Amino acid sequence: MTVPKTSICGALAITLLALPCLAQPAEDAEDAQFAALRADAKKSFEEGVAPFVKTYCAHCHGQNRQKGGINFQPALNNPGNADSAKRWKQALAAVKTHDMPPEDQEKQPTDEERQKFPDWIAKIKYLSAKDPGSFVIRRLTKTEYANTLHDLLGVDPAIARDLPDEVIGAGYLNTLSPLQSELYLAIANEALDRVLAPEDAPPTRLQERLFGNPPEPGADPRAAARHVATGLARTAYRRPPSAAELDVLMDVFDLARENKLSYGASLRLMLKAVLVSPQFLFITPADDATSDDGIVPLDDHQLASRLSYLLWSTMPDPELAALADRGTLHEPEILKAQVNRLLEDDRSRALFDGFGAQWLGLENLEDKTFDPVRFPQMTPEIRSAMIDEARLFFGSIVRENRNVVTFVDGDYTFLNETLATLYGMEESVTGPEMRRVKLQNANRGGILAMPGILATTSFPGRTSPVKRGVWVLEQVLGEHVPPPPPNVPALEKQDRKTIENLTLRQRTELHLTDAVCANCHRILDPIGFGLENFDAIGRWREQDDAGGTIDAAGELPGGKHFTSPAELKAIIAGRAGDLARNLTQKLLSYTLCRQLEGYDEIVVDQLMKTMAGDGYRMRTLITEIVASYPFTHRRIQEQTAPSPHEK
Amino acid sequence: MKNNFLIDRRTCLKGIGASLALPLLETMGWAEPERDNPFKPPVRIGFMYMPHGVIMDQFWPTSPETYLSEPPPALESLRPVLDQCLLMKGISGVPIAPFNGAPHALELSTWLTAVLPDADRRNEINIAISADQIAANYVGGLTSLPSLELATMPQTHKENQEGLNEGYYSHCSFRSPTQAVPAEINPRTVLNRLFGKSDSPGKFTRADPLDRQMLDLVIGGAKDLRRKLPRDDQHKLDEYLDSVRCVERRIAAIETRQKEAALEAAGVSVSKRNDSDSPPIEIKIPEGDKRSEYMQVMCDLNVLAFQTDTTRVSTYIGSTPNGVSYPELGFTNEHHSQTHHNHESEKVRKVAAITEFNISQFAYMIKKMHSLREADGTLLDNCIMMWGSGLEDGNKHARENLPFIIAGRGGGSIHTGRFLADTRGNQGDLLTTLLACAGIPLDRPIGIATKEIAAMRNPL
Repeated sequence: MTVPKTSICGALAITLLALPCLAQPAEDAEDAQFAALRADAKKSFEEGVAPFVKTYCAHCHGQNRQKGGINFQPALNNPGNADSAKRWKQALAAVKTHDMPPEDQEKQPTDEERQKFPDWIAKIKYLSAKDPGSFVIRRLTKTEYANTLHDLLGVDPAIARDLPDEVIGAGYLNTLSPLQSELYLAIANEALDRVLAPEDAPPTRLQERLFGNPPEPGADPRAAARHVATGLARTAYRRPPSAAELDVLMDVFDLARENKLSYGASLRLMLKAVLVSPQFLFITPADDATSDDGIVPLDDHQLASRLSYLLWSTMPDPELAALADRGTLHEPEILKAQVNRLLEDDRSRALFDGFGAQWLGLENLEDKTFDPVRFPQMTPEIRSAMIDEARLFFGSIVRENRNVVTFVDGDYTFLNETLATLYGMEESVTGPEMRRVKLQNANRGGILAMPGILATTSFPGRTSPVKRGVWVLEQVLGEHVPPPPPNVPALEKQDRKTIENLTLRQRTELHLTDAVCANCHRILDPIGFGLENFDAIGRWREQDDAGGTIDAAGELPGGKHFTSPAELKAIIAGRAGDLARNLTQKLLSYTLCRQLEGYDEIVVDQLMKTMAGDGYRMRTLITEIVASYPFTHRRIQEQTAPSPHEK
Repeated sequence: MKNNFLIDRRTCLKGIGASLALPLLETMGWAEPERDNPFKPPVRIGFMYMPHGVIMDQFWPTSPETYLSEPPPALESLRPVLDQCLLMKGISGVPIAPFNGAPHALELSTWLTAVLPDADRRNEINIAISADQIAANYVGGLTSLPSLELATMPQTHKENQEGLNEGYYSHCSFRSPTQAVPAEINPRTVLNRLFGKSDSPGKFTRADPLDRQMLDLVIGGAKDLRRKLPRDDQHKLDEYLDSVRCVERRIAAIETRQKEAALEAAGVSVSKRNDSDSPPIEIKIPEGDKRSEYMQVMCDLNVLAFQTDTTRVSTYIGSTPNGVSYPELGFTNEHHSQTHHNHESEKVRKVAAITEFNISQFAYMIKKMHSLREADGTLLDNCIMMWGSGLEDGNKHARENLPFIIAGRGGGSIHTGRFLADTRGNQGDLLTTLLACAGIPLDRPIGIATKEIAAMRNPL
């Protein structure tokens, strides 16, 4: 991501100059407040962060030496830009856990400095310019493509099953191999074979809807074809086509005619061209937007697509498309009403499939290896029931607009008979269909105690308290856990003699005898061991694999004691603010298809304020994200890459 | 082939796009006819991967002298073709600091790139074009498929080592620094798309010249759209447009073959094949889910693609580092769990068995290539096949002596039948040498390479 490199002073000057141009008084006030925060941040950066880094870090991580490939100089020069934000996060984690500066360094920060460091770092975000980020274009995912073909042509979404599954990272999808590149053409051929009538047969209803009537004898077939092209492109490109785009489709029509194809067959080739066009396979902007500050609101068509693919994983339906045509979709009341309408619809399960499953770490559960001898229960049926449980639970929190803390302390879940066996409830829950079940046992309920999640955070043959601890910290509370230092042996490789008579807990607690390990493990391990009553596939147990009684008691920083999963969950649920903030960050990043950076943190702050005033409710969160500045705006960058395709 | 430069595939394809009317295979690719040997077959290059390293003392031959007569246990399956193979001990991998916590994310992704990902953009794919794709850029335009990527397990494993993009965990082919090339895992799909053979009639591989011209118009029409996009997005669009170009080429190549077939039927000989060449091998898609059969049908497809000159570059990920289990070997443990064996004899035995199993699949492919006649020798004579792993030893994650087996003489450039016990070089040197032997000109060495390994070459 390229961010204009402005010095802090430069950025400030630009903002101050820009202020008088803003018309609305409310925004004026907001921006004035922002300017004040920024001035304060600049002061704390110059008096706090910069001297700290220069004194304690720059010796090894500065212009002259870059140990571990880390150099703070660029971040000191441009503290507010995106690349710097990553640096500050690293620095914060290292200073917090006392990893840095290394113990053998003479110069050590005072306790007071260490305490203030996080506060200073937290203010750096105000040094970022107000920026929605660019609109990251991407190819439709396999699911989105399949659903869109279905909505457009009425074909079974399974038609796209041969496309490779994508690996998603920071908004990038993987590419197609040469072997796979003709798939889009092959699928288009297949789809048209299914939905269009053969040459001499009467047209199908879809054909009539898409192509209209053939031109009367003597009428101009090109005029009729252009009319058809306009309609096809409007729907398939999800925005009005440009004249040049219509010309291309007409060229295809003419090509077909020159080759003596009938009017109908020529339209078919034209439709095929639509289906393999990048305008169909990518979500693309409608018009050439320009603005003085390089930032524009999304046009309504782009907004409709972004919203529809986020909540439904498919193209906008006629209602959304009509609002976009009318140019009213961006009006906050209308936009929020549409979010609610889309969430009411069953298609909104796409939000779980796309985001929820990834957040909870369930996308690999179907293929995860389990020891078949120890866990013969892990059949495909029970795995899919585990995923359904999480999906239905997620869906209920969205649909009922519950407090996001419900994710941790919910007292209900969704079970069928197969899954109920893991809960010991197979007597009361019978039959294959999933249904809502009220849980009486406070140790159960919520994502921390959900079999699917307990299973994905286990090894094939046993639980992993460390993995579970990391999962809770990172996925639930949004804390960054640094990777273990190199050359630390995993449990299996510890010296056999010293560990022979130790329980898993005692072995894991060896971490605490090593200062380097202890920094993180004193937080991780108690959480993991607090969940040890759940085995590697989420069944309740009183004894561990070796027959020892499970000791689920522990203490978290701040002297918070617990003796059971129920008490642990209560402590985690007590951190509603952290929980909500983490979910907000993850969801915002997912909706924007990019990592959060600089100004996004301020957007998150604003969202948190709204959330807190509304009881941290899930649907409110989704609605507010859709209405937020980075969702509804985009930065337009200068375009410099020369085209390899221009002849 | 004298110029030392890399042809950018785009340029190459664009050039070809302009000359599509000419039957390509006539004008490019096969070397100029010589007096006694009317068509000298092209060199093909293939890579096959196994994760997690080997048990070293069961893999390396005891000495160069005993290499052929008393091969180590791991190489037993290759015994009949050891004279077609070259082993080199002393090839080191890329040092992985600062990613010390990511040995498995890097063993595969550095395997054909010989370079580390960009540390500052570790959450994205940002590494380097891989050796196979460099080869595909150069010779890919001469066959209907630029390169073939195969695997036997999905590449969607999610594991975040050192904050590295998940794609690193299961990909080794990179078309550009930011584009990982996915591999195909379904043998039936490979067969269908390679050779237009299909169970459902009418599916795939229609060579419709109108489609080709239509695609050309679509690509031309994307110009305006492209202009509106920021640079990063333009690259994404280009990637798609490249793949459309690739389809255009496929269609053109199929048209050419159809024309050739028509000429042959009319009694005009246009084929470059010699009458004595072996006929294309048969492919049988296995019914069950035995791992050996699955791996072998992928080998067969690779052989057939090379034999028919459908492609000249292949990459076959035998399994990715997240690993599989091998019930055929009598135990269900997953590969990775056993490699941290801490010298326990039971685990060591299992790792050795898994290694032998993987090498025997490679041996299956090599023996088949050796059995097929081509020109005045065998198919294998004109291939360079590399088997290897990205770790020396999965127990310690060492990367000092990476295990590699080179098979095939690369059209006479490689001196096989030897074990070089003290090769001083790195992974980049090896890849650079292999590409040079395949006649691929390089504008710079690959990854950390500093030299070619001259000892691998046949003295001229």
